[in-house]
Amino acid sequence: MKFKFHVSPSIKGNLTTQEIMKELTCCLLVLFVLACIYYGTNYGADYAMQAVAMLAASLVTTFICEYLFAKIRKRDPKSEIKNSFGWVTAIILTLMVPITMRIYAVVIATAFAIIFGKMLFGGFGHNVFNPAAVGRAVIFASFAGATTDLVTSATPTTTIASNLGWMPSSADELSQFLSQYGGWSSLFLGTYPGALGETFTLAIVILGIFLIVRKIIDWRVPVVYLGTIFVMTMVVAILAGIPSYHGIPGFLWYPVLHLLLGGAVFGAFFMLTDPVTSPTAPAGRTIFALGAGILTVLIRLTGNLPEGCLYSILLMNMFTPMIESALDGKQLEIQTKAKKMFACLAIIGLALAFYSSTQIGKSETAAVPQAEVKEVDQL
Amino acid sequence: MSLFLGSMSHHIPGRKELTDSKAVVRLLPKKEAYIPLVAGRAAGQNSFNILVEEGEAVQVGTKLAETKSGMYVPIYSSVSGTYKGIVKRMHSTLRPQEHMVIECDGKQTSVQAFEPLDYKHATREECVDFVKNAGIVGLGGAGFPTYVKYGKPDGVECVLINAVECEPYITADYRNVMDDPTDLIIGADIMKKMADVQHVYICIKESHPDLIAKVKENLGGYQGIEVRPVPDVYPMGWERVLVREVLHREYNNLPAEAGAIVGNASSAIAIAKAFTKGEPIHEKTVTVSGNAVKNPQNVVVPVGTPVSEIMEACGGYTAETVRLIAGGPMMGRTIVNDLFVVDRATNAITVLEDVADDAIACLRCGRCSDHCPSGLQPVRIKEAVQKNDLDEMIKRGASSCIECGMCTYICPSHIDVTEHVRKAKRVIAMKKK
Repeated sequence: MKFKFHVSPSIKGNLTTQEIMKELTCCLLVLFVLACIYYGTNYGADYAMQAVAMLAASLVTTFICEYLFAKIRKRDPKSEIKNSFGWVTAIILTLMVPITMRIYAVVIATAFAIIFGKMLFGGFGHNVFNPAAVGRAVIFASFAGATTDLVTSATPTTTIASNLGWMPSSADELSQFLSQYGGWSSLFLGTYPGALGETFTLAIVILGIFLIVRKIIDWRVPVVYLGTIFVMTMVVAILAGIPSYHGIPGFLWYPVLHLLLGGAVFGAFFMLTDPVTSPTAPAGRTIFALGAGILTVLIRLTGNLPEGCLYSILLMNMFTPMIESALDGKQLEIQTKAKKMFACLAIIGLALAFYSSTQIGKSETAAVPQAEVKEVDQL
Repeated sequence: MSLFLGSMSHHIPGRKELTDSKAVVRLLPKKEAYIPLVAGRAAGQNSFNILVEEGEAVQVGTKLAETKSGMYVPIYSSVSGTYKGIVKRMHSTLRPQEHMVIECDGKQTSVQAFEPLDYKHATREECVDFVKNAGIVGLGGAGFPTYVKYGKPDGVECVLINAVECEPYITADYRNVMDDPTDLIIGADIMKKMADVQHVYICIKESHPDLIAKVKENLGGYQGIEVRPVPDVYPMGWERVLVREVLHREYNNLPAEAGAIVGNASSAIAIAKAFTKGEPIHEKTVTVSGNAVKNPQNVVVPVGTPVSEIMEACGGYTAETVRLIAGGPMMGRTIVNDLFVVDRATNAITVLEDVADDAIACLRCGRCSDHCPSGLQPVRIKEAVQKNDLDEMIKRGASSCIECGMCTYICPSHIDVTEHVRKAKRVIAMKKK
């Protein structure tokens, strides 16, 4: 019989970090399987094999990097790898690249994500940037042309951004655009080419709601982020006079189109909710998501890139420490301050929506050479 | 569901079924009772006037000692026998303290400690004075003298009686109220008079419909007393959370600022017994529970009964390494031997199998900030402690922590977050000195 001392409290809840990561991993793998099925049935088995090879390459790279890092820090590699959850980064990164990406590009991007995105900051829990987003940015910047011989058509985001400047000027133009990708239903289901896992909007939303109900992710982030995109693009639609489509007014279908295309929904549920790189308090997370939503719309409509989700995440990651320190203190006492910050940011968002509405419709092909646009894919 | 604020509470499985329906067992100390010379900050012979001589015979209700200065608290004997002097022993607050030793004769003969008082015909001030002389202290765990709260009830609109018992495992209050609802309501009526208010709310968890029904049955004839069911979340029994739930108000230091006095249900019963029978607090219902005790049950023991004897009566320990906790698993302290005794504020002994610590890196999920009932950001305080940044510890409000243990409980990485905040509190307190 021994009496052990322990600081209070002496009991712990059931939800562990391992469990959180397990459920997150399962949801991400569901998306990956969906991708394999889609590419396997629509394009052939070699496409599905390519997806599997990409994931395998990314996972192996992750484990090698983490093993070496553990060795350098003289820690037990097994427990380091187990408790650093690098595979989540690997899966997210794989889901963000298009099927046509070469394996070596995926390997290098993963290595960058793990080494420069995570380990140099001190490992799991200390990184400033979402490591998967770092990896995707590396591909974006350096390997846009590193494509295989596998052929898919241009993604809808690229098409709408470069050919229409995010503004279908008539119902016919929209119909023509939609028909290339199987119409609204296929945009919802995700059965069109794009980044591996980002296209399956419906599945992502279902998985996201599951994670919210299980309290794995915070509902505030996706709700505020997607809400911001919706409201901003709605304002843009009204100001820019986006035409109605088969009786649906422009201020309704246009925001929906924005949510369906590109990586917004995937980013909302799986990347912005990354706890390590977002603020810890609810008020901070709300403001964080609002900022990311504004940046996404801004980059999409006025930037040179077709899609803004990725960079909005990376930029807001940088603001996380600032948001946190601005909202330090007792939460009941900083409520007014937090609400003021939110309101100010929302007003800036609206002002930017006004600005954006004057910018859309101008084809972006002028700014980015046509050949490159084709390669610059989702996100 | 606020965009800017988390839930500030969390449901914790109560495990009350281990003990709540079992019969209460009465025990007496085998040989000696050790009555702690502790009342709030006052501790030891220097703070107390000892009123009995060594070798003197005492009975249940004999006044043994009273505080010399500060808040007045008398201490009455809980057993009959012979006073043998003073020894230093481990106390449930984890510090060695002086205890008065009484050799029991096992007869439990009693004297009336003081005259009963008909509160209906006494003035408010007389009632408060009576409670002071009866030595009634808060039985919810803090042991704060009850009369102090009723000194100047200006601006107080209601009394909240706390029968929530939000700590897991503990059912002592539940048993006390279930077995003695009339005294609870008499006590509530006395508190109503002392606070000079029109309303008393008896707060009971929604998950205890049987208890709610029992109290409601006995309410007949009393005006202004009602039962208020509250959600089964932790720490609903903390007065700040209770005031927030029932009155939707916040306050800085004392609930009276929000117009409420909060009293514990067992304290209300003790008050009723003092007024009607002239009985001081001499025995305690203590829940002995947890996953490493053979027969979890409620026991009624005289104050000063050693825990080792109680554990023996409950069949002993079932694990090789245990955490013996004076109180519940969330806020109670682990004590490294079972030599301490039941004090007036002890309401539970929890025995848990020891589990190895398995903390991993903080993933900054912010669950501690979402659930902190004080609205603190424990993860940020922890970061300030790790950086040893005193200014940030103060700015982040560490001193407002009540160590309810929520942040450690909720932490998915199994970090002892509460301990980090406790460290911050200590650093700030040192700096102030």
